Amino acid sequence: MKSENIKSFETKGWLKLDNAAKLFPAIMSDSLTSVFRITATLPNPVNYKALREAVEITSKRFPYFSVSLGSGLFWYFLEFNNQMPRIQAEDVIPCTAFAAKRKNEPLYRVLIKNRRISVEFIHILTDGGGAIEYLKSLLYTYLTLTGNQISYHGDIILPGTPLSEEEIEDGYNRFFRRLPPPVKLVKAWHLPFKLNSMPGMNVLRAEVPSQDILDMSRRYNVSVTEYFTAEYMFALHEIFVSWRGNSRKKIRKVLRIEVPVNMRKKYPSRTMRNFSLFVLPEIDLRLGTYTFEEILQSVHHQLQISADVKQISRFLSSNVSHEKQFIVRILPLFIKKMAIAAIYRGLASKRWTGIMTNLGVVTLPAEMEEMVDSFDIIPPPPNSKVKLSCGFVSYKDKMRVTFCNITGSNEVERRVLTHLTQAGIHVKVLNND
Amino acid sequence: MIICNNCGVELDDGILTCPLCGKSPENGSISGEIPLTSPSQVIHLHKKETRKHLWELSGILTFSGIAVCTIVELIINRKLQWSLVSDVSLLSIWLVITLVMYFRKRIISATAGIMVTVLAALFVIDQVAGGRNWFVQVALPVTTAVFVASGIIMALYKASYFRGLNLIAAAFFVLAGFCIITEMILDNFSDGTVNLRWSLITGVSILPIALLLLFYHYRLKKGNRLDSFFHI
Repeated sequence: MKSENIKSFETKGWLKLDNAAKLFPAIMSDSLTSVFRITATLPNPVNYKALREAVEITSKRFPYFSVSLGSGLFWYFLEFNNQMPRIQAEDVIPCTAFAAKRKNEPLYRVLIKNRRISVEFIHILTDGGGAIEYLKSLLYTYLTLTGNQISYHGDIILPGTPLSEEEIEDGYNRFFRRLPPPVKLVKAWHLPFKLNSMPGMNVLRAEVPSQDILDMSRRYNVSVTEYFTAEYMFALHEIFVSWRGNSRKKIRKVLRIEVPVNMRKKYPSRTMRNFSLFVLPEIDLRLGTYTFEEILQSVHHQLQISADVKQISRFLSSNVSHEKQFIVRILPLFIKKMAIAAIYRGLASKRWTGIMTNLGVVTLPAEMEEMVDSFDIIPPPPNSKVKLSCGFVSYKDKMRVTFCNITGSNEVERRVLTHLTQAGIHVKVLNND
Repeated sequence: MIICNNCGVELDDGILTCPLCGKSPENGSISGEIPLTSPSQVIHLHKKETRKHLWELSGILTFSGIAVCTIVELIINRKLQWSLVSDVSLLSIWLVITLVMYFRKRIISATAGIMVTVLAALFVIDQVAGGRNWFVQVALPVTTAVFVASGIIMALYKASYFRGLNLIAAAFFVLAGFCIITEMILDNFSDGTVNLRWSLITGVSILPIALLLLFYHYRLKKGNRLDSFFHI
């Protein structure tokens, strides 16, 4: 028997936004686009005709992405529009905003240039975990259409397979239980650099051998995410210590990094919609300065504790219980939207110093690995407080890091990458063309 | 197989225009209308559509307002008198909105158009209201003064490289001058003599504020640009 969700989607043609997605329509703008990109690079130039056909076939398998944003009296919702995404050329600056409030406008797009196929999703629709599944399925179809034989498809969602109930569910609501709220956090310190004028996002990509990073992490007995978070934290720490500018900026002395956690790995869900939360490792500089090893140990233990399913469920509980409050539910949309934007600007965006997205290890069936050279992730553009976002993804023997920076300074990138090379890890900065 | 020089994408034989960039894959010339080839073009299109929708909405509101006023007066008085004033005002407001929307990037044409519209509306209202013939003596010179003052401020804004609080100080000086000229025009119209009173008080009150802004800008905080200061 089909679930309520699938039935309501098929008959009514609309879906409720999931808990995380409810934030984005209220805060998104031309600069804070809430759009992220995942790119696959192939060995040969992309064939337009085959890709178009592949997109047509694949988007039929993912009907819950063929939606546009509608606004109701109380909430935004997703309306089925039966459209395939636009296939476009890459813009100079990645993660361009969507005209999400335009009638029947798709909320994701496929971009091509040279050997690259990219998908850009607005966060309303899904997170990195959902987008990568779509891209893998698209690559499978594209590669078979261009004459490749793939005998084993692994966990890739194939076109024509039946829609599962779990793909469409709102994981947050499914696993919601009332729990005590998480501890309140003080505001974090922010990078003191001047913002570029619009549109001013610089993207820096670098490649490091996975094995080097893995060896290094093993040496310290930590995970790759923990190691990278510590590198990022250490760079921020060094900038804080050496900064001699306006003393007012130094009043806040907590450095905190938002590290998204894929909740599909914590709960048994295969949802294709948003299902991630985050942990917030921090170091308190009122207690003094730190060495890299100290930061690494601290980040390691904090991530171990806070990424525990019981601890992280407190965030889930707190987020979902806000949306379930009677007073919140009866507020008209325009008031809700203003309130969400005000809370985000005033509180949420000031809670952390940096953001680090980890898409994890992307795996493809062995035959397909020969046909796809690399994967990249470009995280959503940072807000004007955080100023820099960072993302990384591992595929085959390479790990690729991307920094999105909206300031005129590349201090963080320089410090992170230099510290990696000093540790004996080979870093290659990549060309954006 | 052809590779588009611009996008680096492989196109099947027989494709004359790259569907991604709208250019000929061989010589790069644009043929025909370019489709929405990049994400930012969709955003531009959406903004254009939104402006058009707003303009249509303002048209509906204006013309229904005109219809309501006219019909109400026709039913009550069986002739048109006060409704002509409101009709002309509404129509001129709508024309100003139209000019702002369609000449956004041509500021001089837009300003000239707005000035003509305002003057025409005031002239018609003077004729309809009948009697004192204030258009030539008051409306024309005061409106001209308003546009000259705005023109000076806009020119200063355009000409200055560093747009800080000094521009606001300059705007205050222009405002003081405008007040004095307005009082002269009004005095001359009411009794034929010029006796400056309130405009001088306004001017003297504005002066210290402007001086403070200049002091703040040139002595203390040079570096505060208007856009960052007001968070625009």
